[in-house]
Amino acid sequence: MASVRALSRPTRGLPLSQISRQTTSACSRRWASSQAAAAEVPLEDLEDSALGAPPLSEEEKKTFRPWKRQADRKFALPSGRYNYHAPKYDRGPLHPVQPLPSSEPTARDFVPGPFNLPRLRQTYLSTVASDLMTLTYNHIPPGTPKKPTPQRLRQWDGSSPYHENRSLRAPRGAPVLPLLERDINFTNIPEIKEITLAAYVPAALQDMDNLLVARAALLAITGVLPEMTKTKTNVQQWKIRAGEFAGCKATVRGNEAYEFFDRCVNLVFPRIKDWKGIEATTGDSSGNLAWGFTPEELKLFPEMEVNMGMYPPKMVPGCRVYVKTTATSDRQARLLLQSLGLPFFGEVKN
Amino acid sequence: MSTTTTTFLPSLRALTTRLFSRPSPPSQCRPLTTTPTQLALSKSSIAKLGPGSKPAKGSSGNKNQPTRRSKRKGEVARDPRMINLLRHFAVLSPQRIPAPLRMARNRYLRHWTIHRAWLLFRRQQREAREKTWMRQYQSMNRACEELRLTSGPGTREEGYLFRMAMEKKGVYGLKGVPIEYARAQTETPPRVPWDHEWKRD
Repeated sequence: MASVRALSRPTRGLPLSQISRQTTSACSRRWASSQAAAAEVPLEDLEDSALGAPPLSEEEKKTFRPWKRQADRKFALPSGRYNYHAPKYDRGPLHPVQPLPSSEPTARDFVPGPFNLPRLRQTYLSTVASDLMTLTYNHIPPGTPKKPTPQRLRQWDGSSPYHENRSLRAPRGAPVLPLLERDINFTNIPEIKEITLAAYVPAALQDMDNLLVARAALLAITGVLPEMTKTKTNVQQWKIRAGEFAGCKATVRGNEAYEFFDRCVNLVFPRIKDWKGIEATTGDSSGNLAWGFTPEELKLFPEMEVNMGMYPPKMVPGCRVYVKTTATSDRQARLLLQSLGLPFFGEVKN
Repeated sequence: MSTTTTTFLPSLRALTTRLFSRPSPPSQCRPLTTTPTQLALSKSSIAKLGPGSKPAKGSSGNKNQPTRRSKRKGEVARDPRMINLLRHFAVLSPQRIPAPLRMARNRYLRHWTIHRAWLLFRRQQREAREKTWMRQYQSMNRACEELRLTSGPGTREEGYLFRMAMEKKGVYGLKGVPIEYARAQTETPPRVPWDHEWKRD
């Protein structure tokens, strides 16, 4: 065995890359089929420690010259010591010094990977996704002509020569075009993309402490540092001026979003008194549903409940919850959330 | 090599100029003390907060309030819970984000290898999942095509079964998914999957 292990030793002196050296040493592994006969003979090798290195022959000593390899190397290896520091500021896409991608362990915004699979996500991936696909399957016989997409932007009537090459106008009354519903197939099964919690705290205009408590509450519930939002308009009656801090929002994505949804469905909603469900009319007709929590309901979150002594109870705000899904219509999104445990009530619109 | 040094030079210059020109804020640069940063932070933040909770402008509540030991008449002491919350956010502020990890070559290579393996593993899992969905979709497609071309049970005309299968009555309604279905999977499921007899006390 010792001789077999020693085979790779002279090759270490050769100027090979680290990867190819690893493969050569891997080849010196014992192969049971070819060495079955040889393994029976040298029983005295059993005395050898696996840690001991085989002695070098004179020839091997001559060929082993690491300093020569070092001198012959065309490109210097990166030094063994730390000499790189991730840049502190993102100076834009054109700057030569760019921040590392967040997946690099030395990046400043590196977060060590997911350590668990949320049970709701596990349920979704293993069961709910394929069930949704089957439930909504719509068979289109081969050879059926494709339906043309309707033009939803307003055309110019061409009464003026300046209408030539003008871009189309947005629909009347709505600045945003809602999505067109697509049939669900195996590439676009709807799932939860992100959940945004937003609290509007007009009392913060009088006393900033209200906003502080709101930020702390959202931070506790979502685990994400909330962003402060400003008022957009001047309204005399409400004593609001544009551009003042009067709210905050926090967004959770991916696994955290599933965990937050799980907490809502299994811990918070069942404890709300006389709760009927979510109003079925919710939605922006593009697959994003929303609901609200009153201050009393927000206090039911376990993260708030264990630490209610931290907040002045009168200052705890309510908040809106926006669930953004990859569904392309409200009814698809409703189907997804229903299958994840969210009941709806009332009249169904779209 | 030379090109990289020339490209890196401007940033270094900017750094040094900033370092030497700007007077450093007193709260950042503490003299050599044995007081832990946390304690020093809490003391300074308490001193900064001061009494009173009136002002409305900006995120940093009351910067113009003077620090006073003794309460004046009509001046309300700051709620200790507020001070606690402020300290909480001070700890989370971007200034307090710990320095990035430092790794030499071998340690970095170990991380890189594990990271690549993890990405590969996730990719394999995702592709296996998508493959399953694709196979399910295609077999549904084949089955429906077969149904469409089959003349139904007894004297039914061709495609009767297909039309029945494509009926989506109540799928998008409020009772489309029974509530018993929406039960997250667990390692230890209960013996009785759904207790229909349960009532609020």
